[in-house]
Amino acid sequence: MLPARFTGRKALPYLLILPSVIALLSLIIYPMIFSLINSFYLWNLQTSPTPLMFVGSQNYRSVFTVTPFLDALRNTLMLSVGGTFIQFWFGLGIALLLNSRLKGMSAARVLLIMPTTIAPIVVGFLFRYMYYEGSGLISWLLTAAKFPVPVQGLLGSANTALAAIALADIWQWTPFFAIVLYAGLLSIPEDVVEAARVDGADGWQLFARITFPLMWRTAVVVIMIRFMQLFNMFDLVLVLTRGGPGTSSRTLSYNLYLEGLANYNIGVAAAMTWIIVILVTVLVNLYILAAFRNWEW
Amino acid sequence: MRLSTPRSLLIYLAMGLVLLFFLGPILWFLALALRPPNTAFTNPPQLLFRPQLDAFIYTLLNPGTNARQLWNSIVVAGGATLLNIPFALPAAYALSRYRLRAKKQIMLWYIGLLMAPPVVFLIPYFIFMSRLRLNGTYLAMIVMMQTITIPFSVWLLKGFFDEVPFELEESAQVDGARWWQALRSITLPLALPGIIVTSMFAFVFSWNNAIFPLVLSNQATATLPIGAMSYIATSGATWNYIAATAIVAMLPPMFIFLVLGRYIVRGLTFGAVKG
Repeated sequence: MLPARFTGRKALPYLLILPSVIALLSLIIYPMIFSLINSFYLWNLQTSPTPLMFVGSQNYRSVFTVTPFLDALRNTLMLSVGGTFIQFWFGLGIALLLNSRLKGMSAARVLLIMPTTIAPIVVGFLFRYMYYEGSGLISWLLTAAKFPVPVQGLLGSANTALAAIALADIWQWTPFFAIVLYAGLLSIPEDVVEAARVDGADGWQLFARITFPLMWRTAVVVIMIRFMQLFNMFDLVLVLTRGGPGTSSRTLSYNLYLEGLANYNIGVAAAMTWIIVILVTVLVNLYILAAFRNWEW
Repeated sequence: MRLSTPRSLLIYLAMGLVLLFFLGPILWFLALALRPPNTAFTNPPQLLFRPQLDAFIYTLLNPGTNARQLWNSIVVAGGATLLNIPFALPAAYALSRYRLRAKKQIMLWYIGLLMAPPVVFLIPYFIFMSRLRLNGTYLAMIVMMQTITIPFSVWLLKGFFDEVPFELEESAQVDGARWWQALRSITLPLALPGIIVTSMFAFVFSWNNAIFPLVLSNQATATLPIGAMSYIATSGATWNYIAATAIVAMLPPMFIFLVLGRYIVRGLTFGAVKG
């Protein structure tokens, strides 16, 4: 912790922070208040430019009865939990390969990060082309490998649509896990590993008792970031499936987008906004507790 | 470690497969942009073809349908980057240099914002911006991007300021310099690489953001990904143009990441992992 500085000028740091806080507050408070007020009003933008009438908690019920909110919640959770899990272990495997310090691995690391640099929406284009029925590269390879590709295509079948979105995200973000976890591996002091080895630890014990616990602090941060990014999944859904077929790949963000900016049910969308904000707030706080405990500020 | 042991051969083989998996789709899409349109959907997929630049010429030069969108992407991402620094820089400096009671809460509030779903802000602002007749303007997109760029830049910049030794600034003040003179002549020059790295990340994040332009842009201000998407809306036969537009959209972030090198880990984790 730094010593107290610039004594007698206590207001200065707050004055320096203030512009950013005011900018962000004004960007956030407006949509929050807007959504809170309108969540109690009947308002469809197609029939009226302003709210029509007060309907109490009707919109909050409509979120569950009119929109497939619980389906979207289930899809979102499957995507976030499954996606984060696969990316973490796949990425850790690659990080261990990089950590072999063989010749050429630093070049491999530079090439590996390329998928992560691409805009998620563009990743959607890449995979939509490869998922194309019959002639798309992935569909074709799967057919050649005798995988039962659905007749409606990988994106057109309720059984595979969500997994197809997950695969595109796994492709884009596994390298992110790989290079960050590799950085975590590098930060483990060599002498700790050496000492354990001298004490007779084998490869697996070394990993389970030394490597893994020491890089967990790094891992928690990446897991938090990725889980929340997956929880907010929108771009890939928009380009690949538009939430379909049916509601099989609809996520919370896409459900909100459809209700607000396709159906223009502003009242219901506003109520849904608040439900999602509360969900996200709970999740983010849990993560902050896990990731930033013992953090030096 | 010797190169030819069975173990290292196995590692090379595994890494080769990993690279094929992660680079293959990019090369396959580049091939789509370069191949004759009638080979785009052959079954089995056609590996060999005579490359041509027609799709790039069509999208960028003649008639240059997407050239305007390239400019729009530059303006929006550049504008968002330029706007965010004057807000983020002083805040990051103060959070790095002063002992504040609410420091932890402020930092956590910023990172919480980075985790928030953008769609939540989008609907109210769509209505707000259309009432102000700002829908379809660069300004609307640039302002909305600040919900991402400001909190991100504060986190990253604070880490860079933390690394500039405070003692340098302090001794300048002992020698009679005012705090802002010390900041300008000592801390800012030393933190400059960090400021540049932060700006590059802010640029990439804004460049790759599609959700705000999707709703807040119009035909004249659409960015590259939105332009590529409009081909999907028209018909299936224009995949070469989608690919060419997407490749152009992919190049600047790829180039920036190559330049960023060892700062990549730090930027992508918002400064939380030093790398």
